[in-house]
Amino acid sequence: MTPPRADQEPRHRSSTDTNPWPNASANLRTTLVVSLLSSLACDRPPMTDSGVIAIFGGVGLGNGSFSYPRAITAEPDGSIFVVDKTGRIQRFNAGGEFELLWRMPETEKGKPVGLAVHPDGRLFVADTHYHRVMVFDRDGHALASFGGDGTSDGQFLLPTDVAFDAAGFIYVGEYQGNDRITKWSPDLQFVASLADAPIDGKRLSRPTGLKIDDEQTLWIADACNHRVVRLNLDGSVVNVFGGFGSEPGEMRYPYDLSISPAKEIMVCEYEGNRLQWFTKEGRSLRTWGRSGRRPGELFAPWGATYGPHGRVYVVDSLNARVQIIQP
Amino acid sequence: MTPFNSLPFDVREPAWLWLCVLVPILVPATWRSLSGLEPARRALAIAVRSLLVILIALCLAGIERVRRKDDLTVLFLMDRSHSVEALQNFQEDFIRKAAETIPSTDRLGLIDFARQPFLQQLPMPGGFFIAPGRLPPMQNTDRTDVASAVRLAMAIFPHDTAKRIVLMSDGNDNMGDLLSEAQRAKSDGIPIDVVPLRYQRRNEVYFERMVAPAYAEPGEQAPIRMSIHSHQPAKAKLQVVHNGRMVDLPPEDAQVALEPGSNSYYVKLPVGQAGTQTYEATLTFDDDSMDTVALNNSATAFSFVAGESPVLIVTSDPDNDSVLVNALRGEHVLCEMKTPDQLGDFGLVQMLNYASIVLSNIPAASFSDQQQRELTAYVKEMGSGLIMLGGPESFGAGGWIGSPVEEVMPVSFEIKQKRVIPRGALVLIMHSCEIDRGNYWAKEMAKKSVDTVSSRDYLGVLSYTYSPGGENWEVPLDVAANKAAIKARIDRLQNGDMPDFDRTMQMAYDGLVKGKGADAAQKHVILLSDGDAQPPSPKLLQDYADAKITVSTIGIGWGVHVMERTLVDIARTTGGRYYPAKNPNELPQIFSKESTVIQRPLIIEEPFQPQLLRGASELLGGLRAGELGLPALGGMVLTEAKKDPNVLIPIVRATDDGQDPVLAFWQYELGKTVAFTSGYWPSWGKQWTPWDRFAKFWAQIVRWTLRQESPANFDTRVKIDGNRGTVIIDALDKDGTYLNNLQLQSNLVGPETKPIPGRFVQTAPGHYEMQFDVEKSGHYLAGVRIFDRGRFIGNLRTGLSVSYSPEYGDLTPNEALLRQVADATGGRWLDIAPEKAEVFKHDLPPVESKQPAWEWLLAWVFLPAFLLDVAIRRLASWLALSLCIELVLLVVLLFGLELQYHRGGVAGSIILAELVGWSIRFRYIGPLFQSLTHGVTALARTGERSEASLQQLKGAKDRARSALQQGADAPPADATSREAERRESTPLPKDVAGRRFDVASTDRAAPATDLHDALGGAKTAKPATPQPAAPPPGKPGEDESTTSRLLRAKRRTQDRKDEP
Repeated sequence: MTPPRADQEPRHRSSTDTNPWPNASANLRTTLVVSLLSSLACDRPPMTDSGVIAIFGGVGLGNGSFSYPRAITAEPDGSIFVVDKTGRIQRFNAGGEFELLWRMPETEKGKPVGLAVHPDGRLFVADTHYHRVMVFDRDGHALASFGGDGTSDGQFLLPTDVAFDAAGFIYVGEYQGNDRITKWSPDLQFVASLADAPIDGKRLSRPTGLKIDDEQTLWIADACNHRVVRLNLDGSVVNVFGGFGSEPGEMRYPYDLSISPAKEIMVCEYEGNRLQWFTKEGRSLRTWGRSGRRPGELFAPWGATYGPHGRVYVVDSLNARVQIIQP
Repeated sequence: MTPFNSLPFDVREPAWLWLCVLVPILVPATWRSLSGLEPARRALAIAVRSLLVILIALCLAGIERVRRKDDLTVLFLMDRSHSVEALQNFQEDFIRKAAETIPSTDRLGLIDFARQPFLQQLPMPGGFFIAPGRLPPMQNTDRTDVASAVRLAMAIFPHDTAKRIVLMSDGNDNMGDLLSEAQRAKSDGIPIDVVPLRYQRRNEVYFERMVAPAYAEPGEQAPIRMSIHSHQPAKAKLQVVHNGRMVDLPPEDAQVALEPGSNSYYVKLPVGQAGTQTYEATLTFDDDSMDTVALNNSATAFSFVAGESPVLIVTSDPDNDSVLVNALRGEHVLCEMKTPDQLGDFGLVQMLNYASIVLSNIPAASFSDQQQRELTAYVKEMGSGLIMLGGPESFGAGGWIGSPVEEVMPVSFEIKQKRVIPRGALVLIMHSCEIDRGNYWAKEMAKKSVDTVSSRDYLGVLSYTYSPGGENWEVPLDVAANKAAIKARIDRLQNGDMPDFDRTMQMAYDGLVKGKGADAAQKHVILLSDGDAQPPSPKLLQDYADAKITVSTIGIGWGVHVMERTLVDIARTTGGRYYPAKNPNELPQIFSKESTVIQRPLIIEEPFQPQLLRGASELLGGLRAGELGLPALGGMVLTEAKKDPNVLIPIVRATDDGQDPVLAFWQYELGKTVAFTSGYWPSWGKQWTPWDRFAKFWAQIVRWTLRQESPANFDTRVKIDGNRGTVIIDALDKDGTYLNNLQLQSNLVGPETKPIPGRFVQTAPGHYEMQFDVEKSGHYLAGVRIFDRGRFIGNLRTGLSVSYSPEYGDLTPNEALLRQVADATGGRWLDIAPEKAEVFKHDLPPVESKQPAWEWLLAWVFLPAFLLDVAIRRLASWLALSLCIELVLLVVLLFGLELQYHRGGVAGSIILAELVGWSIRFRYIGPLFQSLTHGVTALARTGERSEASLQQLKGAKDRARSALQQGADAPPADATSREAERRESTPLPKDVAGRRFDVASTDRAAPATDLHDALGGAKTAKPATPQPAAPPPGKPGEDESTTSRLLRAKRRTQDRKDEP
């Protein structure tokens, strides 16, 4: 008899539906005006959704939902791992379909903010508030853990992220006054401490994202200095770029970075709500995203990574979702 | 159930549907009024009009759309109270197994409850998502309130599914009213299925009751009766604590041998001094297997002892205050002095040991929130006295602003109207906390600190909120005039994950140094955090230290997770304090202490001469202080007298812009309070202690506040029965005659110092009873004032102790109650395996959800129909009408039915509209089309026309001609009338038409007239006369073309005209 009305029952719409007035027919007048306008505007593309292939997640505690997801990593041609602020690690396939969920063994003090997949397939989790790094297999079985609360060698203060070099050494970032990178042997023994002296006049301040490229240099997202630092694996500085701001070439709290198949550096800006690509020399190439809640928009993204098929997976933290884009 | 119940729509006020009877009336009326229209249009117009009338009727009747779904939501209510603690796994397993059978359209939710209900899983499709053992620990398991859980369940059920509650409990419901909640569930059509939880306690010993006399005389031996219940023979040790001191019981009393059933014990204890006597008895067992529940092994009772109660002086500096104690003792006032640390367990019962309490320069942080409320009840309900003496730690400067105690004092602690007092500035920085509910507590504390600052001070709240661009003044640094608005803003705050402290602290610094806070005398920052943000730069911390801005840091993590290093560093460098909050209960004290930092401007430290105002008050009567002059004072705390006529201010400090109260007092409800905002210790009042009236002055003030004790010598008892307590008073006079019609006014205070409503009712001669609800364990105290015909004849105090919650009593599952609940709501008794319980059985009536549809009807049916009605009558062209209908239909389909959002909806709508449009247009173009096709066929056939057919035609023509000739032989009598007749009958008969241009016709007159008419020539009135013969025809028919015949006819007409 009476057909469905927009404000009464949520219709299932595609994720790229951009009708800007979801509660259109709230009353007669707006129904008329809005329907006419939306018919004109319904195919208006959002400003920056270019390349959004899919979106998955959503707020919730069920499988495939997130509560403030904070870190992401991808197997080179396999699955995606996401950890959220309930301490749940979830595995998805490349298309964003839920595969598996497990929980961190302890979450009372706080939850992890960094994940990385080792070339041999193990998942390293920076268990930040327990000052350790935990190692899992891809099905969530705990294999090992290393570190411990403290500032001396072999200890961590709030570890943030993990990276691996070609020789199998492990690099871990930490912060809160102990801002440095420590190097660990493949059998999880402490080797050395890097970058614990000022770089370009400033010590690292909250290095939240680490990656090692094919040239075996270490890229660091130096979040609270709003810059990217590139080091040789012996700790010597290759170059530094960035600076606080919203212009191209500047950044606001770079929380994560990833290296594209074309060897560009993609930086995820937590407060800038965008991704920014750089050449290795630090020249800004382009940006993607702006702040907001619609597809193609970001709200405090903590992490982004290149995944299978050259796609980028962005953890859109406050929107509790992951956006998959083809840059 | 009527057949209409299954219709997909419903109306609210069906009476309006009577308007539809207008339709049969309208149809004939419209039929006539629209007679100008062609029949098809007329029918359409009438149909549309009838539809409009029906639509108006439907809209007025409030048509609603009804949707029926048989989806089901099942909410499990899980009992987690103390009595079923051991059965938690059983309950979780039950849910897990029952969830295995959940259909994909159904939803499952979980509420667990003890004293309060908590929502653990929102109704969600897919099953039970809480992993084994992952339910958060339950607080307050000392009570079971099933009713509140049912209420919460009813509130969160989605409205568009059928609903079922599955209650898992032992039925020991000791709060709320489960049965009336079940009635509500029933009226909402929600069945409550019950999974009974069963257990059996084997060895159990518990106190049934402990009774002490309500009143005792000093020096007498008070009989204490105890009743202990045991399931089995047991040996136990009995200990009794009297007023906090262990009583040395004789060995035969201390060792008790319990028999199965009730055991009575009786000890006599000497009563101490006047005031409240508390007794606590505890049983301990050598063999722990004798007892299951330990919480029911102790009981408390108290009695009041008549006599003069002392005054308590609470001081943090006993050396200074010994002057006052000595002075009072010299004036024969009984008094005791204690430091806050010596108070120990200082609740209302302990307070009542004293007739008045003096707080001498004591900060608010020395008392917990609960104690502050009890101090208020001590004054208001219990009629005792409270004196607050000034000092740098007292009044507003001591963090008392916004405390419950401020309510009972004669002065307000914050200065609202006062002139130039240096302001304080406080900035709160809120950082999100990693632990559960960390942000909640941070907000609670921020709100608390808003309460404790004065409304003249500057207050700002900074947090990291993502938009716009991170750090933000959530509450801009400004005068905290509208505290309610500020607190509401804090409530709405969404704490973001602040990457570093540097930028927020920089903003706070800028606000305090360059912004609004620049003129503040005291600047302070409180940082609430779990410390896991990046520390601020050393330079910024140095800036803080240089600008004398202190930063106190509060680590919210309950000792579990706080990154203390950064927080300690910040506090140390800036001269603030670091508080590692170990539990939420510590936070209020921390905040009272912290807020005093910015209240230092309330302290005036300059000598002044206190002035005694005219009109000696009852407080200082007979002191003649004015004659002698008050000694000078060296300082005071600023307060403001309350605008209440009962407030009297005998001593003030006079300044150019007004008077500040030094001594103020009033009676507030039953109690009396005094504020002395200065002090008598050396720094502020060194001339006061040598003053010869010092002792008299203070003795008089203290005596005025003392609680009035005029005990009515009535027999008083208390008893408790389930959740009801009763106070019984038997009023007899000295001669033993009953005192009737007394007015008993009672002030009853429960364990959380909440006033409890209760009223005495006379139930027999001289017998008065008051009943009240006992919801919590603890002390219930009643102050009773007795009047006889309006004359005060005395007061008495009484009370009772609820030793432990009924939850800890000797419990067996209360299945009768659970069965009642199931029966009342039509629920099932699920004493079966979860797999067979079929909790997702779809045997409930489908749920109807109604949504008003009249707006839609008005917009998308009435309005288009109305347009159509106009169009049908006004648009002459069928083509235009069909286009109009098509357009309206398209708009309704796309936007009204919102087919635009459906796949293929746009194309479908267009096709449908075109179909309708074209079928209408067919009527318009149908004839056109026909004539077109006809014309084309005719043209095509012209060439093919055979000679034979021409011959046939000729034959036919000849036949017609001969027939006409026959007709001409007998011409009509009146040619003119025939002509007129012919003119009227249009169109011409074919046979006549066929011959009209036929010059060979013998009847010339008729065709000539016809042609004349046809060509619009002037009509001649004269009768037609035979015309001269035309040129002889050749071969008629095929030889002559139509044009030549027409030309000939024209010429003839011309000739006729030219005739004279």
